[in-house]
Amino acid sequence: MADARFKVVLGVIGADCHAVGNKIIKSVLEPLGIDVVNLGVMVSQDEFIDAAVETGAQAILVSSIYGHGEIDCAGFRGRCVERGLADILLYVGGNLVIGKREFSAVEAMFKDMGFDRVFKPTVDLEEVAELLKADISRKVLVCNDDHEVVELRIAG
Amino acid sequence: MTEPSSHEIENRKLDRGTYEHERDTVLQTWHTGKDVDFAKGVRRHHEMPDSKKFSVALANAEAAHKTLLQPRAGVALIREQIQLLNDLSPHCDVLPTTVDAYTRHNRYEEAQAGIDRSRAAGTSLLNGFPPVNHGVEGCERLVDNVSKPIQVRHGTPDARLMAEITLASGFSSFEGGGISYNIPYSKNVPLARSIRHWQYCDRLVGRYEEEGVSINREPFGPLTGTLVPPFVSHAVALIEGLLALEQGVKCITLGYGQAGNLSQDVAAIRSLRQLGHHYFREFGHDDYALSTVFHQWMGGFPEIEARAYSVIALGAAAAKFGGATKIIVKTPHEASGVPTMEANRAGLQATEQMINMIGDQGYLETDEIAQEMALIEREVHAVMDKVIDLGQGDIARGAVRAFEAGVMDIPFAPASVNAGRLTPVRDNNGAIRVFDQGSIPLPADVIAFHKEKIAERAAAEGRDASFKMVVDDVRAISASKLIGRPN
Repeated sequence: MADARFKVVLGVIGADCHAVGNKIIKSVLEPLGIDVVNLGVMVSQDEFIDAAVETGAQAILVSSIYGHGEIDCAGFRGRCVERGLADILLYVGGNLVIGKREFSAVEAMFKDMGFDRVFKPTVDLEEVAELLKADISRKVLVCNDDHEVVELRIAG
Repeated sequence: MTEPSSHEIENRKLDRGTYEHERDTVLQTWHTGKDVDFAKGVRRHHEMPDSKKFSVALANAEAAHKTLLQPRAGVALIREQIQLLNDLSPHCDVLPTTVDAYTRHNRYEEAQAGIDRSRAAGTSLLNGFPPVNHGVEGCERLVDNVSKPIQVRHGTPDARLMAEITLASGFSSFEGGGISYNIPYSKNVPLARSIRHWQYCDRLVGRYEEEGVSINREPFGPLTGTLVPPFVSHAVALIEGLLALEQGVKCITLGYGQAGNLSQDVAAIRSLRQLGHHYFREFGHDDYALSTVFHQWMGGFPEIEARAYSVIALGAAAAKFGGATKIIVKTPHEASGVPTMEANRAGLQATEQMINMIGDQGYLETDEIAQEMALIEREVHAVMDKVIDLGQGDIARGAVRAFEAGVMDIPFAPASVNAGRLTPVRDNNGAIRVFDQGSIPLPADVIAFHKEKIAERAAAEGRDASFKMVVDDVRAISASKLIGRPN
């Protein structure tokens, strides 16, 4: 069963209609205790963010396999900040650019765009699940710490 | 046009008035539509040499039992597209122009941004060529600057404007169909709507035929390209073929995507041709030219290029043994997305070497191939009978109702109108079998056969068949296997 501690929004961004990997990601993550809100294919930045706001998800998992990822993901972090999700985890994976480019260069470009983690299409999904849980747990811890500090200040 | 429902859609030739009225609206959906001139398009086709006509290339290949090779290729800008096609041209028989994904969803403004950004970046940032944005003049420039027949390849539920622009510009083949370019390619497009939009495209091709211009139409065979049992894609191809013929299409190419088991693939492409003639004649058509196209593996590829060549070569062998008229060729870059020209050329050369060697051998006949053919034919007839029944004789209405009822069901498709209950899995020889039939009306003994074949594999692997097995199969070829066995 999905563990309520871990909730993520999943989808394929832009005009990309590749559904197979999307269905498989969901089928692997859910039995590992991650609650997946799956938006399926052809999801806009705002649809990802709307779903994250509505469900209180801690992470957005963006897939793109058709090469337009570079265009479709531009400004995603900024849009999250505008919509009050500055701290949300952003993962992206797939074939993110047109043509065969060094993965390290692609990873650097997407990290520069504000994505926390960048994955190849061949990544082991169980590994992704572990990273996701660890990243979410760390975030929750940090947020709780902040919260306590605030409470202390109020108390003081 | 009002939204057609399953009650209103019908497989009947659009009358001239309906087509012309709709055309006025279609041509206004993007500013380049105003430059479409049908009469001028007809003249262009008449003036084109036979060497640039798709229908001629296909007829010659059929007559000589040759297999045409065609790559996929599309970049954002016209000059670069001309360069790419001319670099590939010596290594293939017919040319493609693969359309970008924004255009496929009629998102011409985003396509324009992609064109602009590609110009600024000095490299294509689009995954294909945007023909609507480039308009008639731009597409004409492309056609005029290549020396072989050229086809539009895409994945567009509403391709009416694209068809008007590209056919008027001299493209002589148009891929797609109301089912095959909806269910695997969109999320929320009602099936009756996409079928209706493709009747328009087919009617346009029919109008060219009436003017003595033969345009080839090719329903998209592989669908989701992921463990699709042959009977599933055959049923779609046959229905789209019938819908096209009704609108006046005369030159039709039915397609199939490599599944991986040689006997099943050879049987599939052979049975597709036979079934095509069977259903076309049954529905009263006798004036058509039928050919077949085999798509090399459409699922995930191995990252290592040497391994990818083996997937490509196995597809080439199956296509040639099966007697396909044309092969759509993959590249060693498939795992990473859009290939370079060099990778594309390498895929074509690997394919050519294999088809030459298979071509020197005689007709391959084995018990396995004969059994698979008999099985596919029974399965197709079972589905088609039900589709015809649901439509009360009308194949368009029947198709819409069949998807609503799950009688037709495409594995792993994104469309919400698709039931998604049919679940395939490989058997112990790697052939694709039906693990869960959903609502597909297959005969009891056929289902029993599938179950037996799957049980054989489960026993060999010492595990029960499950969705885990299906997922293992989906990832198997990119992990250098055919069957997703446990480690």
